[in-house]
Amino acid sequence: MSENQDPKPSPPNSGDGWRVLSYLIGGVALYGGIGFGLDRLFGTQFLLPVGIVLGAGLTILMLHFRYGSRS
Amino acid sequence: MTAGVPTEFIAPGPQNFTTPPIIDGVDWFTKPVLVAALSVVVIVWFFWGASRKAAIVPSKLQFAGELGYNFVRNSIARDAIGSQDHMKYVPYLCGLFFFILLNNVAASIPLIQFPTFSHAGWAYVAAIMSWVIYNAVGIKKKGLWGYFKHQTMPAGVPVWLMPLMIPIEFISNILVRPISLSLRLFANMFAGHILLLVFVLGGEYMVFESGKIFLGGVGVITFLMGLAIAGLELFVQCIQAYIFVVLTAQYIGSAIADEH
Repeated sequence: MSENQDPKPSPPNSGDGWRVLSYLIGGVALYGGIGFGLDRLFGTQFLLPVGIVLGAGLTILMLHFRYGSRS
Repeated sequence: MTAGVPTEFIAPGPQNFTTPPIIDGVDWFTKPVLVAALSVVVIVWFFWGASRKAAIVPSKLQFAGELGYNFVRNSIARDAIGSQDHMKYVPYLCGLFFFILLNNVAASIPLIQFPTFSHAGWAYVAAIMSWVIYNAVGIKKKGLWGYFKHQTMPAGVPVWLMPLMIPIEFISNILVRPISLSLRLFANMFAGHILLLVFVLGGEYMVFESGKIFLGGVGVITFLMGLAIAGLELFVQCIQAYIFVVLTAQYIGSAIADEH
């Protein structure tokens, strides 16, 4: 078929949306989880929210470094 | 239950997804198994028939087969993996796409009307299969350590932030991916089917069993909404099959990509 010869360049960024989502989930889950574990360990209550915010912040920072410089 | 006699409405729930064995005594042979097996038969028949008498001027069946195959090869595999390496993965992606598509669309076919992937186990297996494949091809291409580095070192991040970023990269690339793949497919099929059940069973109850004129009128509207949801579901079923395979192809593409 004619599409076979079509040298359409592949869009390199088409998966970025899902990737960003999985970064956000990963970051929040990881540092939130660490905060939760430390809360359990020390009997405190504030480390889970701190972990979640830290994870979200780090993820956004990473997204900035990865994708921010693209025009 | 006769018309006009009020009875209790039982809301549909996860219990509606437990189907009895088709043959007594063979516990594993349930409706999803039958639908999945039937879908394999249909796919084999379709592509065998389409490719058996390959001609320059294609027959209708051959044309349909080529259309489906070319769609997966060009729009999914080549776009996501690149024109260099994509051919190797086309058979898997093609089989995966049509298997998921047929099993999803089965939910809208009268008399079958059951989405196989609304049972999470089916979605888990499909996701694990894709996960094993893209990790395996990545490891084969770059070696274990090289692949691990490739999947855990985020590009463009300053060195002092690396210790904090590497775990995020690892979790999102290695752990979140299979979970999100399987949950997206499973949850869409489950939610769509249960939504349909709510509208159709709710409408049926209000029209025939509630015994109230006003509720009967609402029930008719509910039925119509159910019809609209059924149309929407057909769209969701196709989209979910497409997304699952596109993401699998992209993960394979990113696993064998040269630079991050």
